[in-house]
Amino acid sequence: MSKVASSMFHPKRLDLSGFVNTRLIRDHNKRNAFAQMEPERQALRYVIRNTSLPQRTRAQAQLQLSQMHCYTRPTQIKNRCVASGTARSVFRNFRLNRFQFRMQALAGELPGVKKASW
Amino acid sequence: MFPSTRSLIGAGKRLRVPMPIRALSTPSQSNAPSTETTTTPPQAKLEPTPTPTATTNAEQPSELRVKEWSERLGAFGEHARLPRSVQALYLRPLRRKAEYGLPVCDLQLRSYSVQNLEFFADFAIRAAYYLNLPVSGPVPLPRITERWTVTRSNFVHKKSKENFERITLRRLIQIKDGNPQAVQAWLAFLRKHAFYGVGMKANVWESESLGMIPRDARLLDRSDPLTPVTDAGKALDASLSDIQKTVGPHLAQFGQRHDNTAKESIFDSLDSERFAERKNL
Repeated sequence: MSKVASSMFHPKRLDLSGFVNTRLIRDHNKRNAFAQMEPERQALRYVIRNTSLPQRTRAQAQLQLSQMHCYTRPTQIKNRCVASGTARSVFRNFRLNRFQFRMQALAGELPGVKKASW
Repeated sequence: MFPSTRSLIGAGKRLRVPMPIRALSTPSQSNAPSTETTTTPPQAKLEPTPTPTATTNAEQPSELRVKEWSERLGAFGEHARLPRSVQALYLRPLRRKAEYGLPVCDLQLRSYSVQNLEFFADFAIRAAYYLNLPVSGPVPLPRITERWTVTRSNFVHKKSKENFERITLRRLIQIKDGNPQAVQAWLAFLRKHAFYGVGMKANVWESESLGMIPRDARLLDRSDPLTPVTDAGKALDASLSDIQKTVGPHLAQFGQRHDNTAKESIFDSLDSERFAERKNL
């Protein structure tokens, strides 16, 4: 873990609307951080894996990559429900939690989704 | 056609709202009683005065409602015919015949509701007819059924579940050997009049004759940009130098690494001191 404060990724103004949650904001910041630093990460990963480069350069790149902020890692990103902020059983199609999906489907807010019986 | 109890002014007033021309044509019915003949005929035809209509409306029974489309059309057709393009709306869509049958454009329509999809497919086919495009379809493609099973409650009660589904209906409309510009116009027209709840996806193919030089090569050829080369092979030869120029840097990357190339052969290294020592042991 890096010692750099994660507040460096917080935007000045809240750039989210709809349902907002601390964990939702955190995940949003992580996504932004990853998007911002992705080229750098990919460059370092390329340097590390390129066997034609000197060993010293590759080791330095390894060190640099490991010292990047944890928010810039893609594995930190977790899909969350946009209506409730829940991180479990979120449908990718609707970005909704299973329970929110059920409520909205029954209310007819999801186009084409009906109760099924077969 | 009309029941005898109905007065002409009432009919004229009812029909005046959607189509003013009908008000002129309908009073020629002779079987109705002449209640309104006391009023001045031209005035009654164009704009009925409010007082007689009020009285006749009160006399009218409530069963006189708007009739079915076929009846209304038939009644209308006795006196004047609709414009052909309007009358075509009540008939099956017209189609052009494909001469070669070469597919030019595949349009896929998707929706969750049949009515919207059928309506828009019909619209697209009619539009293609007037753009002189031969059409085949709409072909009903297999439906995409997505199902989800979710727990009914938000917490525990795992055994109680509920099923949901979403069925995407698809139709394929294929344009055959049409003019590419007409196809683009057709697609733009459909995009402009896009129907709610209906998605569109189009694959467009263009074909080029083999004898002509490819468009890219023609652009690259600086010496004489507009001269068509009559042979496909010659066209490829003409574009070869440019291709080599673009591919060259990539091809230079292939091969062995510079630091990996051995100076001497494998036998030299086998005869070297290190290996010789091991052999003697």
